Parts: sequence; structure tokens; C-alpha cells
Amino acid sequence: MVDRFVFDRYSGSEAPTYVPDSGVPDVSLTDIFPRKLLRETLPLPDPGERETVRHFSALAANNFSVDGNFYPLGSCTMKHNPRLHEQAAALEGLRDLHPYQPEDSVQGALGLLYELERCLCAITGMDYFSLIPSSGAHGEFTGMMMIRKYHEQRGVKKTHVLVPDSAHGTNPASAAMCGYATVVVPSNSGGCVDARAFSRALNEQTAAVMLTNPNTLGIFEEEISELKRMAHEKGALLYYDGANFNALAGIGAPRAMGFDVMHLNLHKTFSTPHGCGGPGAGVVGVTERLRAYLPVPRIERRDGRYSWSQGSPETIGTIRSFYGNFLVCVRAYAYVLRLGGAGLRRMSEHAVLNANYVQRMLKEVLDVPYDRACMHEAVFSCASLAGRGVRAYDVAKRLIDYGIHPPTMYFPLIVKEALMVEPTETESKETLDRFIEAVRAICREAREEPDRLLRAPLSRPGGRVDEARAARALEVKWNPAAGR
Amino acid sequence: MLDAIGVRSAEELFRHIPNELRFSAPPLPRGLSEYEVLQLLRRRAGENTPLSRWNSFLGAGCYDHYVPAALSSLVSLPQFVTAYTPYQPECSQGILQAIFEYQSFICLLTGKEVTNASLLDGATALGEAVRMALRLNRRGWVLLADSVHPEYKRTLRTYLSAQECICEEVPRAAAGTLDISAWRRALSREVSCCVVQAPNFFGLIEDAEEIHRLCRTTDTLLIVVANPLSLALFQPSGDLICGDIQPFGCGVNFGGPGGGYLAASRRMIRQLPGRIVGRTVDAGGNDAFCLTLQTREQHIRREKATSNICSNHSLQAIAAAVYLSLQGSRGLTHTARQCVRNTQYLYRKMKGLSGVTLPYGPGVFHEFVWQVARPAAVLEALRRKGILGGYPTGKEFPGLDGGILSCCTEKKTKQDIDAYVSALEEILHGGQVRV
Repeated sequence: MVDRFVFDRYSGSEAPTYVPDSGVPDVSLTDIFPRKLLRETLPLPDPGERETVRHFSALAANNFSVDGNFYPLGSCTMKHNPRLHEQAAALEGLRDLHPYQPEDSVQGALGLLYELERCLCAITGMDYFSLIPSSGAHGEFTGMMMIRKYHEQRGVKKTHVLVPDSAHGTNPASAAMCGYATVVVPSNSGGCVDARAFSRALNEQTAAVMLTNPNTLGIFEEEISELKRMAHEKGALLYYDGANFNALAGIGAPRAMGFDVMHLNLHKTFSTPHGCGGPGAGVVGVTERLRAYLPVPRIERRDGRYSWSQGSPETIGTIRSFYGNFLVCVRAYAYVLRLGGAGLRRMSEHAVLNANYVQRMLKEVLDVPYDRACMHEAVFSCASLAGRGVRAYDVAKRLIDYGIHPPTMYFPLIVKEALMVEPTETESKETLDRFIEAVRAICREAREEPDRLLRAPLSRPGGRVDEARAARALEVKWNPAAGR
Repeated sequence: MLDAIGVRSAEELFRHIPNELRFSAPPLPRGLSEYEVLQLLRRRAGENTPLSRWNSFLGAGCYDHYVPAALSSLVSLPQFVTAYTPYQPECSQGILQAIFEYQSFICLLTGKEVTNASLLDGATALGEAVRMALRLNRRGWVLLADSVHPEYKRTLRTYLSAQECICEEVPRAAAGTLDISAWRRALSREVSCCVVQAPNFFGLIEDAEEIHRLCRTTDTLLIVVANPLSLALFQPSGDLICGDIQPFGCGVNFGGPGGGYLAASRRMIRQLPGRIVGRTVDAGGNDAFCLTLQTREQHIRREKATSNICSNHSLQAIAAAVYLSLQGSRGLTHTARQCVRNTQYLYRKMKGLSGVTLPYGPGVFHEFVWQVARPAAVLEALRRKGILGGYPTGKEFPGLDGGILSCCTEKKTKQDIDAYVSALEEILHGGQVRV
């Protein structure tokens, strides 16, 4: 029998002996510290190792994951995570290092970060990368702070940032954290930024334009060079949100498209595992003119030796403790080495091929709001099922019964009843065909037996989880009084 | 597949991208086999000297605690490692419950009512906490104890540099702890929040409650940066408590990943950044979990969100929950007490060394600062003897010339500490470093 909660055992095991008694004399805490500063009770459970292992093993088994399921979660790039990465990150010589060790004793780690920075520059065309930002949003914050500093140093007053209406929510949120208002630019009928509306929204007060390319509709912004020209003419910089870089990694460089600052999500394109929501890394690349503003510390190489540097006096400063998520960088480095230049190109080609195949094969049953070749993800609308009372939400939940993780729902915001499917390059045609067949079956069901869909997932004994109730109850921790 | 799509090659799928924006492939070397990559990384690893090969007394925000084997095994379970954010509760109940239990552990340790599913690290958690305080009382002044970790202080300044607010540092007392009269002078009704670290950067236990009482007189919020392991022994304090869960089984990892935590009162929950797991029921009336209050978050609220945070450090949060479960109240108390014992032992030994000055008292958790005439030379001489003596504080704290911050976790033994002290004695008095 597995305990329902770790908190079910308050009087279980004895104190574990993970380390030996150190052998130094015991001390009385009250001799050293005022009694009022000491804690009287520590109300933690004592389930012990056996129960802990059973409990968390049972929790792990009760989930979908990339290892267990097709996981076409759009915008998240849930590709296979090679085990090689885990083995690399577990090497003692990489894992068991303290961030304040002498430089001499961490030359391999510094060299690895330095090399990874050079690889990312080669892939994107950027001149420098900071590997410190620890998530995509953290990268956006870092990049936008650099843009802010750039304008400040030039004595130019900038007030706002342009983002398309299809943008990720992090873009406007990051801009706001950097003190900028957001101006939303509508998309045109082709799903791209409307160049005329863009031109109208752009003015001397525009600090930056934040774009992801391909955009969140999975469509390449073909007019990117024209957008760049207009933006630069007004003194605005171009920020590239790398969330969708899986489509382009081996195909073209954001630098060539005119981007000045960008971030890459190592946990998406570079196949580091998502770990239930993180840790990731949102490394930031810049061109030469933004070099001075890079966050610190930086790594320098001189005469074959690596050392830390405190960067330039114009740096935006420190953005977190230490040097970012080093072990995420180790995994990404392993990935880049394994694929090489040609491998990266094949990776993007297969990602785009898989998405187009899914788009083509589902066209008959679901609406494709922007009917053109897509890049790495395909966006569908379930609006045509609405007549039967079926929503994208219901289709998504029904997929769980087929052992498939639902696609991203209701995003991008400009598509009604959106389902955003990103199959990634690591899935086989057989898996895609099973997914396609599942969606077709669900669409048939929507016509014939819509009521069944509304109760999905049917394979889960308790059915749907009541999310509205959670928001009303706001029970966010175990309640010892109630024993629950 | 090509036939179905109606193209002759995958290449054709990119034809709408203008030629001048493309390359044939990135200028990188050819791909390597798995064996070659592993060999290359092993070589890199071999160029480092891991902590296991040193007698290390480094701490300063990243602590070398023992990571139980069961933890490494549970946190490597692929169902945890390769899943994403549990947006779909019907196929993520295990993750959601693990994070809910993590939240419960953090609330139990901090005595707070609410917390989130983790943030990136302790320094960004502090940045988020201060931004949260500014939103809560809409004031524009932040008081920051100078004894907060320097990297946290700098990160906070970056996080505040685009905000309309003033951040003022309050100097510590001669004893290294909070100077209550300086805080009394600096406080006013314009002050949004006071930020202190307890134990502070020098390892000293603080009476944060004294500042808390002062804060109540001006309706100012108290933010306490707390090493969560210290909360096994010491009374938590503060309106917002934040820090890094790194001591809970994350390992040192060259500084990352660890993970940030931020705990608060229930009335503040709508201003809390990041994901939160809540409890609910399913259609069958069974207990269930899901992400909740998502209307605070960037994917819904966009520029009006409480923060831009999306990816967090969930796997480290799960590691922390596993760690606390494995240790239990007894194991955690034992671990924290052994840290205190070891550190007291080193402190007393140091006190007997001529040439060493102890600027502050022994009221420390697991690290303390000591001074010596030529710290860089001393650290280097120790290093040659296989000892990492600590973190030099001189650069960051000009008043503490020659300062070295040394930490003893529960992994240190009497032999380790004795070896350190005799090496130091030899260096100081055997003529290896002129003092």
C-alpha cells in the first residue's frame, strides 16, 4: 500500500544516517543562541526511505511524459531527450563543482561554457552569448534590459515595445518588467505581421520590436527584412524570441534576418529535458554593438587559459546568482556536438516536414486558419465543431484516452478554439499516423456522439479535474488540522 | 510523407524563406558519435577538480550537502525528467501532487500560508519578492541590509533598475548583525519593504523579529532571505520569506540549477509570481490537483502579469520535496545541528590561532568570516595542500579587509576540520606566508 501523502507518516522511521557523526564535541544551542530565536517544533513528517521511494515512484508513474507518450505540445518543443545528456551531466567532474572554486580547478567547465558560446554564435550568427539566463522569460528580461541600457547610453528616450498579436505572453510581460509599454501589432490575413499597421505603430519612441520567427502560427515572417529596415530606421532594435528556433536551427541565422538581440531556449531546441516545468536555460545572444551591456560575469580566454571577467562598466549587471544553469548548458553542448552543423539542418528539416505532414493530413477534419505551408508547428481551429457543442478543450481531453498528451490549447490568441501541434523531428511517421487517426476519430465522435467527448478523458476513473473549484478554494498546501 | 504534402524534398518546405536569409548548414564541425561526445566531455570533466577531491570549506550561497542516493534515483525517473509543466491535470496528477507537497513543505518550514511551484534561484526570488512588495503597498522605497549576499544585492538592483523606486543600503552593526538604530532612522511610511538575510551573508543568526516589529509601525513589509535548512533550527520571520532550495538535495552543480522559493501570507496570493498548484476534486469527487490562479500569469495576463516567469525549477522543487521526505524532521534537525556543531568547532579552533582575527561572535549557523593579513596568499597556500579554505570577502566588503568566509556542512568531520586548522597554522607560522 502506498501512502496517499508524504504527510501521512508523522511517527515513522528513525533519523536516517546519511553521513557519519562528525566526531566534534556536541554543543547546546541555547548556549550559543538566544532561546527566542530557536524553533520549538519542526512539524515535518518522517516517512523514511522505503515509503519515500514508494510514494514518489507512484507519483512519477501517474503522468504523461516524452518518454512515455507522444507529447505534441505546441511552442514547447517536446522532443526526445537523449540519455547521453543525462550521463554527461552526471559526470562528477562537471556536477560536483563549486561556483567559487579557483579558476585553475575548473578550466574544463569554463572551457565547455566558452565553446558552447562559440557554437551558439556559429548557429545564430550573433557575436556573443551570455549563458546565464535560466529560462526563456529570464532571457527576454536580460535582452530587453540590454536594449534599455543601449538606448539610455545614447540618451534617447524610448517608451514602448511592439509585439504582434500572436506573440507569446512572456514578451509583453518581459517588456513591462523593463519599464516599457506594449503596443500590439495585428497580423494580416496571411498570419504574418501586417507591415502597414507595423509602420503606423512604429515611431521614434519605439525601443524594440519583439518577434518570434517563425511566429506562433508556425508561419515564417517573409517580410522580416522589410520590418527590420523600418524598425532600424526609427532607432528601434529587433529582439528575436527563440522559442520557435527548432524550425530554423540549421536553416538560417537570426542575425541575417536583422535581429540585434535574441534568446534561445536550450530546453526546447537543444533538447535538454523539461523536468516538469524546468530548469531550462534562456541564453541570450547579441551583436557587437550590444556587447558592452552583456550581463556579468563573462568568460575570457587568454593564452589557452579561461578566466572570469567582470565585463564592461556599461553591463546591465548581475541577473541571478552564479553562472546560470550550468548542467543545462552541459546537456546542450552534448547535443550540439552530437548533431554538428549538418545534423542540426536535418533536425530542422524533419521538424518542419513532420509538422507539414500533420497539417496536411488533418486539413479535412479541422480548420487550418492560415492555409499555407507551416514551419515546425501546425495551428488548427476547432471552431467547426462548435455546432455540436464541442470545443478545442474537449478534443484535447479526449486525446488523453489515446495516450497522447494534448496539444497547446487556445493559443495563439488570434485563432478561435486553437490547437497548436508541434510534433518535433524525433517522432516517426507511425506515431504521427496514430495521432492523425486519433484526431480523425475524435472529430467523427464529435459529430456522432458529442456527449461522450464532453466527459473525456473517459479512461481516467474520476474524469475531468475541476479547475474552477481550485481557484475558489485556494488550497495550496497540506492542511494538518484536517489531515488532508 | 513528401508525397502526401505534395513536395519533392524537405528542402522545398523552406522555399518561401528568402535565399539571402539561409545557409546550407551552420558552420560547425561534423556530428560526433555518442562515444566520441562522451569521451570529449569526460576529458573536459577531467580538467576540473571536483569538491570530492578537496577538503572544501566553500559556502557563500552554494552549499556542499550530502545528496542521498535515493534522491538521485527518484529525481532521475524519466516520467519526472521528460514531462513538461502540468497544464493538463488529467495526465499530470503525479507531478501536481509532488509540487503540492513541495509547496506544503515550504509552508511548514517558513510558517507561511502560501508559496509557488518554485522560481529560478534565490537571487531572482528576492527580485520577485521586492517587486511583489512594491505592488502590494504601492510605495517606492526599498531598504536593503548590506549583509545580504552580494550577488543577491546586485541581482535585486538589476531587477529594480527599470522600476520607479529607490534602493538604499543599511549598514550592519559592529557585531556584523542588523543595526536596529540604523533601521529605525531609515524607516518611514514611504518605505515599501525592508530586506534582510537570516542567517546573513556572514553566517550570523539575526533577530529579524526585532526589525519586523519596527516595520509594523510604518506598515512596511519585511522580506527575509533565509537558507531554508537553517529553518530546521531557527524561528522563521518576515512577511515574505525567500531564498534558494539548493541545500535540499540539488547538489552544487557549479552554481546551477538550484531553485528559488518565495512564501507569503494568504492575502498576498494574487500578487505571487509563478505557477501555483491547488487542490480540488475531479468529476468523480476524488481528490485532485491542478495549476491554479493562472490569471496572474503572463500567458493570460500578458503585460499586466505579476511576473514574466514561465519555466521555473520544478525538478529541483521535486528534489527538495524528496529530500525533506527522506530526511524527515529528525534527519533534517540532525543535519542542521551537525552543521552548527562542526562550525562551532572550527570557530573555536580558529579563535586559538594567532594571526587570525574573528571580527564577529560565534552566533552563526554554518559559516563565519575570519580575517588574516594576506588572504589571497593564505587561500593559495591552503589550495596547494588540497584545501579550499573559503570565499574571500574583501572585494565585496571593503570594511572586512582580509576576510574569508568558511563553511562547514554536515559532511565535514573532526579530521577534516583538524587538518584545515593545522594546515593553516603551518602556513601562518611555518613561514610559508609572511604575516
